[in-house]
Amino acid sequence: MIARIALRDRRAFAALYDATSAKLFGVCLRVLKNRGEAEDTLQEVFLRIWAKADSYAVTGHSPMTWLITIARNLSIDRLRSRQARMSGQGDGGDLLEQVPDSSPGPEATTIARSEQARMNACMEELPQDRAEAVRGAYLEGDNYQTLAERHGVPLNTMRTWLRRSLQKLKECLTR
Amino acid sequence: MSGTDTPQAEPPFDDEFLAAEYVLHLLDAEARRSFEARLVAEPALREEVHRWEAHFASLAEEVPETAPPARVKAALMAQIDAAPEGPEGVRRIFSAWRMGLGVLAAALVLVAALVLVPILTRPDFSPAYHVDLASADGDLFVAAGLDAEQNLLLIRRDQGAPRPGRALELWLIADGAEAPVSLGVLPDENEIFVTLPAELVQQFAGATLAISDEPEGGSPTGAPNGAVLAAAAVETL
Repeated sequence: MIARIALRDRRAFAALYDATSAKLFGVCLRVLKNRGEAEDTLQEVFLRIWAKADSYAVTGHSPMTWLITIARNLSIDRLRSRQARMSGQGDGGDLLEQVPDSSPGPEATTIARSEQARMNACMEELPQDRAEAVRGAYLEGDNYQTLAERHGVPLNTMRTWLRRSLQKLKECLTR
Repeated sequence: MSGTDTPQAEPPFDDEFLAAEYVLHLLDAEARRSFEARLVAEPALREEVHRWEAHFASLAEEVPETAPPARVKAALMAQIDAAPEGPEGVRRIFSAWRMGLGVLAAALVLVAALVLVPILTRPDFSPAYHVDLASADGDLFVAAGLDAEQNLLLIRRDQGAPRPGRALELWLIADGAEAPVSLGVLPDENEIFVTLPAELVQQFAGATLAISDEPEGGSPTGAPNGAVLAAAAVETL
């Protein structure tokens, strides 16, 4: 059985790529806004998936959540290292490696779709500009500085906004 | 820039929100490093991180799909072929699967696509479990029997077929399980034998099987997405 899977695995991997690469490429592009970098990152994402399939189980994530999380994290790693290069001050590279978890918390096995509906509903409860800031941080990889500039508020205000938004989200999500 | 500001009038901010900031990559380099150091030692914090990752991943729903150029896949497959840890990685997927984690659905779709390969020679077959799956409109009828000694599942599609461009996916919902586990996409053959891992075989008693309508190749999320066309409890013979 194992041998059979090992033999055919390449095909399965290709199938996974076909099913998910467009979404994941979209995520990379959204963060990086540069096709070349997004392509490189997508490749890195799938190599990571290939090599780290074992750490999937321990996150307890739904499959797509896991894939999106990897795609976004690697994209932001690249974005940050680009930013650091450009500002000439290596701000300490990113050490993020998936830290394996010991227990696949059962609450994490919820079917992705209901999770999505809940999150969307909770985002809608936030004032629009606050929700935009949360989106900007997640989807565009904005840091506090960028968010503050984009929304025309002082850095500390943005930090407070975002933290309050996170608390509201949490309240809403656990209701 | 003023990354070192310490604002006074902040709302109370505990670990769960620190975890959210970490997931959003909003911590500065130093805070990030010390958070990561804590992650290694604190399972509860890791769980918090995973929870936020799952919440935020929902936001990616709005990101439009963009097909990457074919060269990415070509380069990737070439690298996979060259990578020695390939089969190792697969064994790891498999061993995680054997741990019987229902949450492994995607890996399962991945693996199940391989599992539903007809076995060429028909072995002796004595089922311990049986299930008849009929759709409400009677258009679909699938019978399945499981020989628990040999871990062999016989699937016979007596009537019905997937809609064009779609697939029929078979699911196992173990007694008390939180989530269905994919047994794979039904192949074109009307009758096939499938070898199941012992861990899945053990979950058949008291389980329910179901068939859902999914995109070609099966549900991309690993959980049933399309309409459930038929479901029935497994009978113990």
